[in-house]
Amino acid sequence: MFDYTYLPSPNLIPSLVEMMLKIMFIFTMNMGVFAPVLGWVERKQSALMQDRIGANRADIFGFTLFGLLHIASDALKLLVKEDFIPRGADKPLHYLAPFIAVVPALVAFAVIPFGGKYMLWGHEANLVIADLNVGMLYIFAVASLATYGAVIGGWASNNSWSLLGGLRVGAQMLSYEVAMGLTLVGIFMVYGSLQLTTIGMAQENFFRWGIFLQPLGFILFIACALAENKRTPFDIPEAESELIAGYFTEYSGLKFAMFWMAEFLEMVTIAAVLVALFFGGWHIPFITHQGLIDAMGHLFGPNFGAIAAMLIHAAVFWIKVVAWIVILMLIRWSLPRFRFDQVMRLGWKIVLPLALMNIVLTGLIILAVR
Amino acid sequence: MAANYKKVNRGVTLTLWERLYVMEVLRGIIITGRHFIRNWVSTFRSYMSGNPAGRGIMTIYYPEEKPVLPEAYRGRPMLVRAVDGKEKCVACGLCEVACPAKCITIVGAMRPDGTRYPETYMLDGAVCIFCGLCEEACPEEAIVMTHNYEGLVEYDRSQMLYGKEALLVPEEKLKGRLDYIRRRMYNKCNY
Repeated sequence: MFDYTYLPSPNLIPSLVEMMLKIMFIFTMNMGVFAPVLGWVERKQSALMQDRIGANRADIFGFTLFGLLHIASDALKLLVKEDFIPRGADKPLHYLAPFIAVVPALVAFAVIPFGGKYMLWGHEANLVIADLNVGMLYIFAVASLATYGAVIGGWASNNSWSLLGGLRVGAQMLSYEVAMGLTLVGIFMVYGSLQLTTIGMAQENFFRWGIFLQPLGFILFIACALAENKRTPFDIPEAESELIAGYFTEYSGLKFAMFWMAEFLEMVTIAAVLVALFFGGWHIPFITHQGLIDAMGHLFGPNFGAIAAMLIHAAVFWIKVVAWIVILMLIRWSLPRFRFDQVMRLGWKIVLPLALMNIVLTGLIILAVR
Repeated sequence: MAANYKKVNRGVTLTLWERLYVMEVLRGIIITGRHFIRNWVSTFRSYMSGNPAGRGIMTIYYPEEKPVLPEAYRGRPMLVRAVDGKEKCVACGLCEVACPAKCITIVGAMRPDGTRYPETYMLDGAVCIFCGLCEEACPEEAIVMTHNYEGLVEYDRSQMLYGKEALLVPEEKLKGRLDYIRRRMYNKCNY
């Protein structure tokens, strides 16, 4: 069943405007803010964690802005760099792979709500681009599509390291997608829905946040999400010491930047999913959704009050996302890389049985509570 | 196969708590996170107050900030010009002999009052290894290692052949190093 209710029928223009604004907002946040700035965050955060300074030398007229200008210099460098395709590479696939990698990372954000529903001048604004009733399934589907980018990139490069990296991506993603789906079944059972807005609305009460209802599921989901993201504890597909750079060894210039961007966008998506499923989405603890709208309504009138509440909720959501990105970065720069067999063992022998156990436990508790 | 290998005891026995992994991961993350926050706060605070000493990170922003060198630091060897304007060197040639790299060449001469002085004193900066043996050998405290570590290289080796005039430095500028030598620290500390 496909839920068409979000499609515009009676009020076409407001819905269209709302949709365009939401898409523009998400696109700006992801491509304009997170993708570039996370490069700086990663450099600076890792440096500070390791008692270093980090990149701080790029300057314009002497202003370095704490190394923020390295984003611009990097972008410029990647733009003018030679776009090299190795001899014997499968050219069309080599071209296609970075796009396949980056597009799913972008479109996965479509179902994640960054705010609730608000009445603006008689038009209901729902702060999610596509309010699918199969929301999480869509994210799983799209996330597994991102695997193809890496696998095809590894295959098409005509390089043994790339091929090995691509194979490892395939094996790792296959292992962890199974477990990832199962870890979240507990959440679906508790909230009774796959729709992320419904799950978000159900977390209005602070003590009904996913982290309190599904602590085991949360830990397992983080492990799987890190593995899906291919960042350090699970970065065997691009292990420098073994595979040079894994599946993107033969990429340079903007195509390399796209793989790089896909990694950061995936991290943003993971943080957003974590917030939406386990950390109350856009809700402020102990303040109900309608309560904030009413309070703002008293201050600014019904319509502008709703806008104020909307902005506050969106800000709360993004603050939570940023906090989670910082935590994911902490994990990435704290833990050493697993060996390949350890990754496989963790996936199949530990995470998967624990996820199944989580489902059984959740079912029993739900039965008992009822 | 099974009989042919020897099990090595690596002395690593993990407790159940450690084998659970999650808590140990948390412990590690708390350690790195502590460094992150501490360095962040101290760097920001020192940036705001303009006091580089307050930084938790030891790195020196080199061209803008210069390191504080210990007296034992051995930079470019320089000749000491005494207060009366004459060089202290008496051209005895001990530094020439002591120099393991053989970078010093002295031609001595005598002043009308009978004191000796170096007519030419050539120190090949391209050959010098900054060992400080010339300073150690010198009976007159006439050649000392300075804190001068910048501009030691040129694009042309002939530019690095320093004559007497290039090497002479007034005595008061080398006070710290001369005091250090007079304390006879050579045999006490491994510098």
